[in-house]
Amino acid sequence: MADKTGKDGQNRPLRNSADKSGDDSAAPAKARTMHPPRHLSDRVPKSGGPTPESAILAALNSAEELIEGYQGWAVDDLEDLWRAFQDAADKKAGPADIRQMFDIAHEIRGQGGTFGFPLITAISDSLCKYLDQRKEMAARAGEVVRVHILAMKAVFRQELKGDQGALGRELPKLLAHLRDRADMGGG
Amino acid sequence: MTGYDFSHMKVLVADDSRHIRSLVKTFLSGFGVESVTQADDAAAAFVAFQEEDPDLVITDWNMPPTSGLDLVDQIRNDPDSPNPYVPIIMLTGFTELYRVRMARDTGVSTFLAKPVSAASLYKRLCAMVDDKRAFVRVGRFFGPDRRMAKRSADFAGPERRRA
Repeated sequence: MADKTGKDGQNRPLRNSADKSGDDSAAPAKARTMHPPRHLSDRVPKSGGPTPESAILAALNSAEELIEGYQGWAVDDLEDLWRAFQDAADKKAGPADIRQMFDIAHEIRGQGGTFGFPLITAISDSLCKYLDQRKEMAARAGEVVRVHILAMKAVFRQELKGDQGALGRELPKLLAHLRDRADMGGG
Repeated sequence: MTGYDFSHMKVLVADDSRHIRSLVKTFLSGFGVESVTQADDAAAAFVAFQEEDPDLVITDWNMPPTSGLDLVDQIRNDPDSPNPYVPIIMLTGFTELYRVRMARDTGVSTFLAKPVSAASLYKRLCAMVDDKRAFVRVGRFFGPDRRMAKRSADFAGPERRRA
């Protein structure tokens, strides 16, 4: 394998012939080490900017309005999830239906805690765990999904921001118990 | 005392959630980053990557119908990639170990789990500036050296990779 200098002068790393053929079944491949022609530190001096504390504070202040607006549009995501669930419940839901619910729940999982609602992340994380790799959704599994969605609706309705102490600690355990029981029951 | 000066850094943010994109852009602006380009899927992100040649890429994993892994693979291995060595932060709600390994083995520089906070993002940016790892081509892999510097220096076992 050889590096080739690209038209921009970089030491461009190309795949070797074994890579192209997909044949990597031979003896352990020898590693080739390359050094980036430019480095992020060339663009970012370690001094001259705001202190970490003031940079983070400035970021939080700038984001205040976005974070405050989260609940308004997150409810729409939750409605999308509810509709996907109802569509799935009305028929024999297959992997594509379950994948659609997973994708929405996954988005909600990433956003909840980011925008100040870690309970939403905890509940949607539990739902993602339940839906991930699931091939079909029997009645008992549908009940598990329904409980998760209703729990998220309750969090928004009661505006349960922050980790909520004991509730935040216990909720993942309760949801794990719910998932386990449903699976033991053949859901 | 002052901190890192991010004002000259160009960043590309790829996420299918416009809310997350907006928040990350807002955080970055708060840190002093003046140039942030946004894309909502892997294909649009690679076009933006070619046009803007950013210094750092922050990408989501799940961007149906595309994937952040597609973007990482294209950046690292496509002959038309302007900078295969660009640092890439995978910002995702996928935190299972097998997925972290999959991202690493695709050439991601580091992983940042959602939910994201201003503090966690700032810390990752600083870590990327300080990350002096070489890049490695071995078998099908091309990306930052997957061995952490100190651990690899200490390791002298029989399976130590030949370099």
